[in-house]
Amino acid sequence: MSSSHLPNYVRAERKRLALSQAEVAFLLGAESGAKVCRYERFAREPGLRTALAYEVIFHKPVRELFAGLYATTEQEVATRAKTLTAKAERLKPNRQSIHKRATLAAIINQPVHRS
Amino acid sequence: MSQSTSHTTRSLAVTPSTRGFGFAVLEGEILVDWGVKPVTGDKNTGSVAKVKELLILYHPARFILEDAESSRRAARICALHAELVRVAKEHQVRVIVLTRTRVRRRFFADGEGTKHELALQLAERYPEELKLRLPPKRRLWMSEDYRMGIFDAVALGLAGQQPKRGPVPRG
Repeated sequence: MSSSHLPNYVRAERKRLALSQAEVAFLLGAESGAKVCRYERFAREPGLRTALAYEVIFHKPVRELFAGLYATTEQEVATRAKTLTAKAERLKPNRQSIHKRATLAAIINQPVHRS
Repeated sequence: MSQSTSHTTRSLAVTPSTRGFGFAVLEGEILVDWGVKPVTGDKNTGSVAKVKELLILYHPARFILEDAESSRRAARICALHAELVRVAKEHQVRVIVLTRTRVRRRFFADGEGTKHELALQLAERYPEELKLRLPPKRRLWMSEDYRMGIFDAVALGLAGQQPKRGPVPRG
């Protein structure tokens, strides 16, 4: 648990830029700093627009800002990709199914990273 | 943040003071959170509650404290340290207690240097995070600036890192 990523690193980034929670909330288009506080305490996950707004504010990719969330999503997708691979293996081998299997293998073997 | 921190250990360093405590959360040598938590009323009870919140939020693998007895701290601080060690163990977090000398040795070749010199070093190392928080040099008639707790905690957190091989990444 302790060596895995935190769900997000937005508090650190906000502090680096010397912004208050209320100021970030304003930039995100939220009503108050309470929502920002909930993101920073990992009590709430932001929607896509908010996540992209964070990327704009902090000049860092979403997957880096929300590293823990990204790692969890990556693992979930890899698990689903394994299920899909099992289905794909039952297909008659042709160019399309070979390409599909290679795509799924790439998803499964994607390393969990935060670069 | 831009450096990869996968598989690095997260540490929480806490330095109790008269106003509350300073804290720093590090992943390897990267600062994840830092600040001062002021506590009013029963300071020890308040501090323990706030440290518990940090332990729950960040799930650190290591909890780092300064050895209160070797650095002649007040009886209240010694009692608080003992309570914090108990709380950390309750949360199954490894506790590391460092002497003041060991912390200084991490930053000064001869182990000798003032708190302000140490703070300057840290502000240089973490300009985005700490430069704005650097307190002015304390004069003889001034009491310690509350922000010094942050620098103490960051220094403690860095000193508590396992020795690394190869070049030490800059923060």
